[in-house]
Amino acid sequence: MATSADKNWLYKVVGRNIYLWQYIYSGNTSVLGGYAIKLPGNYYGNQLIYPDVNIANGLRFEGTAFINTFVNNDPNILDNSDNPTLTSDTGTEASHVNVSYMLSLAITDYLQAQMADKNGEIDKKEYYMRSFWKKVSDNESNKRKAAFSIPSSPYAIKQ
Amino acid sequence: MERAGIRETTLGIAWIKDAIHLIQSNQNDNVATWKTSIVDGTRAYAFPANLIKLNSISVLDTTDDKYKKIRRIIHEPTVTEDDAE
Repeated sequence: MATSADKNWLYKVVGRNIYLWQYIYSGNTSVLGGYAIKLPGNYYGNQLIYPDVNIANGLRFEGTAFINTFVNNDPNILDNSDNPTLTSDTGTEASHVNVSYMLSLAITDYLQAQMADKNGEIDKKEYYMRSFWKKVSDNESNKRKAAFSIPSSPYAIKQ
Repeated sequence: MERAGIRETTLGIAWIKDAIHLIQSNQNDNVATWKTSIVDGTRAYAFPANLIKLNSISVLDTTDDKYKKIRRIIHEPTVTEDDAE
């Protein structure tokens, strides 16, 4: 049983694993004559212990995942007003890269950067990688709307 | 690949995968969740194989049946009993 999971469970990243810890505040006690007594020689207080419970599907990871690189339909074109049904593909002439259009353009830049790198043209590679990251950031900012205003004083001069 | 002027298909596909990996490492373009069971006495749990960037880890709170994000500890606690994994 896991109660107050957000307060009583902790983790630590160790290589390709996480170590899961359970926080308890207790000690070894025994009941004698109807009274709970603390056993001598045992630690009492804050402790982190190994999980002492079985929970089916109790641990959930959330993060970015590697996706099916190629799909059969263009993920950016509606199919009769509905989102297209995408099926994984091995990567043929007819395949589509499974990303947004802007990211497709960014990937084109990435390919050109790698081509330039292969040919030893480092300046070209740097140019295309800058273009790659610019498109990647454009793709992200396309999903966000932010506005800010700067107040001007009554006698401010505009140059 | 035509747009990039690449004739080697296998190499081109590998680079496309590299680019997607790079994008997913820096942005939350495709977020997924994975679940695994917590086992009594076991503290080590492997990251999912196709996880690229970790956003959060949650534990199922059995009192209300909801997943709740848990916190990360920075330092290794003192271990006094280490016969389990």
